[in-house]
Amino acid sequence: MPQDVRVAVLYGFGINCDHETKAVFEMAGAEADRIHVNELVNGDKSLADYHIMAVPGGFSFGDHLGSGRLLGNRLRFGIRDMVQDFVKSGKLVIGICNGFQVLVKMGLLPGDEDVSLTQTASLTLNNTGHYEDRWVHLEFDPNSPCVWTKGLERIRVPVRHGEGKFVTTIDKNLDQWAENGQLVVRYVDPMHEYPSAGDEPLPFPICPNASMRNIAGVCDPTGRVFGLMPHPEANHSTWLGATWTREMPEHGEGEGMAIFHNAVNFAKENL
Amino acid sequence: MGQVPVHLIEVTPRDLPGLQDTRGESIKEMLAADHSLFVEKIRSITGYQVKANLTPDQLLHSLQDLFTDPIIETGTVNKSLLDDSTTYPGKPQLAIMVGFKPGVTDNAAQAALDGLHTLFPNLDGAEISTTMTYLFWGLPDGLDYKWLANILHNPMIERAAMATPDLCKQAIWPQLPYPERPAIEFTQPVTIDLEVDDQKLMQISDEGLLALNLEEMKAIQAHYRDPQIQATRETLGLPAEAPTDVELECLAQTWSEHCSHKIFAAKIHHNDTVTNEETEIDSLFKTHIMQPTHDMQEDVDWLLSVFHDNSGVIEWTKEWSLCIKAETHNSPSALDPFGGAMTGIVGVNRDILGTGLGARPIANTDVFCFGPPDYSGDLPGGLFHPSRVLRGVHAGIRTGGNESGIPTVNGAIVFDDRFIGKPLVYAGTVGTMPRKLPDGRESHDKTPTPGDIVYMLGGKVGSDGIHGATFSSLELTEESPSSAVQIGDPITQKKMIDMVLEARDAGLIQVITDNGAGGLSSSVGEMAELTGGAELDLAVVPLKQPGLSPWEILVSESQERMTVGVRHEDVPAFEALANLHEVEATQVGTFTDSGAFIVKHGEKTVAHLPMNFMHDGCPQLNLKSEWIPPINEEPNYPKSNPKQMGQILSRLLARPNIASKEWWVRQYDHEVIAQSVIKPFCGVNHDAPGDAAVIAPIMGNTRGAVISCGIVPRYSDIDAYAMTAASIDEAVRNAVCVGVNLDKIAGLDNFCWPDPIESEKTPDGQYKLAQLVRSNQALDDVCRAYNLPCISGKDSMKNDAKLDGKKISIPPTLLYTLLGDHQDVRKAVSSDFKDKGDTIYLLGETHQELGASELNFMLSEETGGGIGNDAPQIDTERNLALYRALTKAMDEELVRSAHDCSDGGLATAIAECCFGCDGGTTIDLDGIGDVDNWAALFGESLGRIVVTVSPANTEKFATIMANHCLVKLGQVDNKSELTIKRGGENILTAKLTDLLSSWKGTLHMGGGV
Repeated sequence: MPQDVRVAVLYGFGINCDHETKAVFEMAGAEADRIHVNELVNGDKSLADYHIMAVPGGFSFGDHLGSGRLLGNRLRFGIRDMVQDFVKSGKLVIGICNGFQVLVKMGLLPGDEDVSLTQTASLTLNNTGHYEDRWVHLEFDPNSPCVWTKGLERIRVPVRHGEGKFVTTIDKNLDQWAENGQLVVRYVDPMHEYPSAGDEPLPFPICPNASMRNIAGVCDPTGRVFGLMPHPEANHSTWLGATWTREMPEHGEGEGMAIFHNAVNFAKENL
Repeated sequence: MGQVPVHLIEVTPRDLPGLQDTRGESIKEMLAADHSLFVEKIRSITGYQVKANLTPDQLLHSLQDLFTDPIIETGTVNKSLLDDSTTYPGKPQLAIMVGFKPGVTDNAAQAALDGLHTLFPNLDGAEISTTMTYLFWGLPDGLDYKWLANILHNPMIERAAMATPDLCKQAIWPQLPYPERPAIEFTQPVTIDLEVDDQKLMQISDEGLLALNLEEMKAIQAHYRDPQIQATRETLGLPAEAPTDVELECLAQTWSEHCSHKIFAAKIHHNDTVTNEETEIDSLFKTHIMQPTHDMQEDVDWLLSVFHDNSGVIEWTKEWSLCIKAETHNSPSALDPFGGAMTGIVGVNRDILGTGLGARPIANTDVFCFGPPDYSGDLPGGLFHPSRVLRGVHAGIRTGGNESGIPTVNGAIVFDDRFIGKPLVYAGTVGTMPRKLPDGRESHDKTPTPGDIVYMLGGKVGSDGIHGATFSSLELTEESPSSAVQIGDPITQKKMIDMVLEARDAGLIQVITDNGAGGLSSSVGEMAELTGGAELDLAVVPLKQPGLSPWEILVSESQERMTVGVRHEDVPAFEALANLHEVEATQVGTFTDSGAFIVKHGEKTVAHLPMNFMHDGCPQLNLKSEWIPPINEEPNYPKSNPKQMGQILSRLLARPNIASKEWWVRQYDHEVIAQSVIKPFCGVNHDAPGDAAVIAPIMGNTRGAVISCGIVPRYSDIDAYAMTAASIDEAVRNAVCVGVNLDKIAGLDNFCWPDPIESEKTPDGQYKLAQLVRSNQALDDVCRAYNLPCISGKDSMKNDAKLDGKKISIPPTLLYTLLGDHQDVRKAVSSDFKDKGDTIYLLGETHQELGASELNFMLSEETGGGIGNDAPQIDTERNLALYRALTKAMDEELVRSAHDCSDGGLATAIAECCFGCDGGTTIDLDGIGDVDNWAALFGESLGRIVVTVSPANTEKFATIMANHCLVKLGQVDNKSELTIKRGGENILTAKLTDLLSSWKGTLHMGGGV
């Protein structure tokens, strides 16, 4: 059992949520380092020294040729073995927003048992055709193996993306992922009581991007690799909520923090 | 090696259930919204022209692993997708292909090239260019295809090819050749003979786009007649008696209105015909902007760096300082709205990065002034329709800000017919710096010493962006040069920002500034003042294309570049960091103490400019101004029953100046960095307008900063004094609404004026200059009264357009941006009404001041008549006392909501607060004082704020506000109607849903390119 949980927060090439992603892991009690992707490629740093890898949000390579494609390729072709070893050794990975797009495009999510890095899903332009920053309600699958979302029911966090529509072209994939509990987080209508997550497409803006089955995030079959379009790290404190001035909350940690606590606790106990 | 082949790769979204061609759909929506053109179907094909030696296997590998997404896209290599009958079984009716002109920044191509190198690390000399092809089905008959093509591309920077229906039937698809840059021939510096008559001197200035006046040309002429100068030049091998083109260009940049603010530095003889006073003003800037700040600096210790750096710096906490700067990018945005606005925002980000030893940009502000989006009047040739300018500018700002990871936290959009000639695009950025660096140096001071190496960092230099500074100092004409237009590259810049901040923290930076207007000539020239000289070698500057002449390299404004001074011993560490971040860093010169800026190209000296001549040699302008107040007609106020008053409110809410900007603002990331406490929108449905941004940039810490702005060009039609006072008061009021700490507020003044120098083409120059004088007097008076020091600012003085022989001048406009401290963000207040039963108050006095109000503008458009003459007057003492009392009440957590009462008056403010709780209410204006119903409902008197207080706290609140004007209006409710009463009778009634849809409908445009 490690004394300190160590987190590698990747950055470079237009990733831009690296500072706050580092901060939330530190708030959750981990030690976090910002690691430039090139430091892994050139061998100065190794993922093996870390328990968790986080690929934060941003606009890596300006989203050109499809969001996440180019950074995904840098990882898939530049440090393929290092990434596969990391995942196969049971360590934790999270991709948020652009980081999620990276993990999907490089085939790490929804992923497979062999960590073959084969792309099976994609994230494409929102049906509105443009980028939006707005707050959404998320609901988690209680039966998912995902270690990041244990015990979570619903949280409120912002989405900030133009390409967040989760799609696949093979229906049976979706069924398979659903059965495995990999469709771990979905957009839900707050007017409906928990639990209400479902496959029926929700209207804009409840589902902000027209994702298939209202999918906001998925995990791999082991539940250790997790990615989502919304930004839990952006709700690290109560005063960052969208309507906190109406609610007069007891101030402290925000609704997004549970995800990072889960990971750090899991790493403390298991890695 | 023979000719490198160009391979064509085409990619298109797959047509499968659940997927759509979103780019095509967006264009379809835009054509319907902006042009009422309804098309059945539009599809899109992205093209990559790949100029590289690749084998068929390699091409297939790159198609599968780079260019196409295997799930959602399909693609072809060296075969048109339109000939692939599985992908496109039905041929389109029309196809339009758009690509860039040679030399224009193509960010997607740059990214693709990077991706190609990931797949093939040993690939040499590859180049890529991108195209976009739009395919149309079901076009209306008689459509002008050329017109449609022009909607989809900007001929200034792009090319288009078209397959008309005839060609489509024959399967002849549009093609564009690879955009090869034409070879340019290197030309040695030439000598410019200035021993000519005055007419010839001006010809040299005009033809060279130097924007220098006769007196300035003569000052340069005189410099080269100085025997001492001639002797020095001889020893350097320079022409002794005349400047080189390099020198003349460098002086034109340094002395341009854009860089040296000659009008603000001018001596002005001002005649006020109202008071019969005549005054001599020796520099508006020194008298009315700098002096008040320096006087305030004697009383406070938190003004760390004002006016002289790229942005103003204040101490925020003991550990952190904040800095702020706003710039305008008006001329480039008129020519290419997307590129112009994008380079505006990424440019001002670099001002922050270039402050002190380097600050981190943490928030953007964006304020635009456009012609109305539904403008249907005449449009002079060469101008884009305001809706296109709005879309393009917005997209540029969105791309620049979002891709850089800097949240856009505050802004405004103002509309007026006169902005069709020149849109105003104000882009601002806030930054943070640790007060002290790990090596103990204060971060806001630059510390260069002679001998430090000059690095150019970031992008390469190209012929794009030559003459931006001098061009913006001229009026916009049909001949305005396309080389002044650029597209930014936020990702190259983001890599540079990451690198610079690490270099700063490692103590590797001695001095830093950005390369903006004037390029290296300005950046190195200005920094050389700190050590007393610099020497530069243009031959080593990395170029986008060979052949650029020395003067072009020196003044090119190619984007994404910083100039940094580094000590010899830090060179290896600095270069290693640049290498890690894949940032190009080139040693281009040395700082010296020789007293001169010396420029070489290889061994040859091409310029020698003494520092004192360069920076102090520009002669001061002598100008005259005369203030004769205009007299406007009064509007016709229609007799209206309560319901009709409700409709007037509804129409006011729908006016673009007041209407919700949500559709546009949501497209900005306002929350990256995870610090956003008070956001652009608030309320139960997240759609009510926020007054000011509150951010808490230190993770987990509750100390905050407030960013707000004020802008009301309308009032300039009565008096620029009133316009300025109102703008500053609005910025302060907005900040007060969220609970700013009034003991630490600082401001930025950004003036945009029409040319105020009397001349043949500006016969009313004395009036326009008098407006500028009055504006400065107001700035001086109000800032002193509010203890609000200006810490930085900028002016843009030639906002006129002459097109088709018609001159269009903007209304004089001041944007006032405020940066303030917030002691505890947990006490921040938002504008939305909260709980049913909370008491609603109006704070501040209401006067009969409807002149140039939004209501008067609307009525004058609807029924003729004028805009009136009684613009709101300011009482700074009364306002400040009230603001202090209110922020005290906020600090004691007695205030549930606060909303600024401004454009559209009290009725508008109340409606917006009701949107926030999704409930109407009844308010009573009996206590509002001796004004008519129009002024009571829609007047825009300054110093007023609508607040709510929960019943438990009304007594305590009333005690704190005891000596201030406090009018109780009613209670928060959840009714479906908004009712306003006075004297026991209804004077305005409206359904809240009607008001909401009016307010939201106008600017919800949909679609886009």
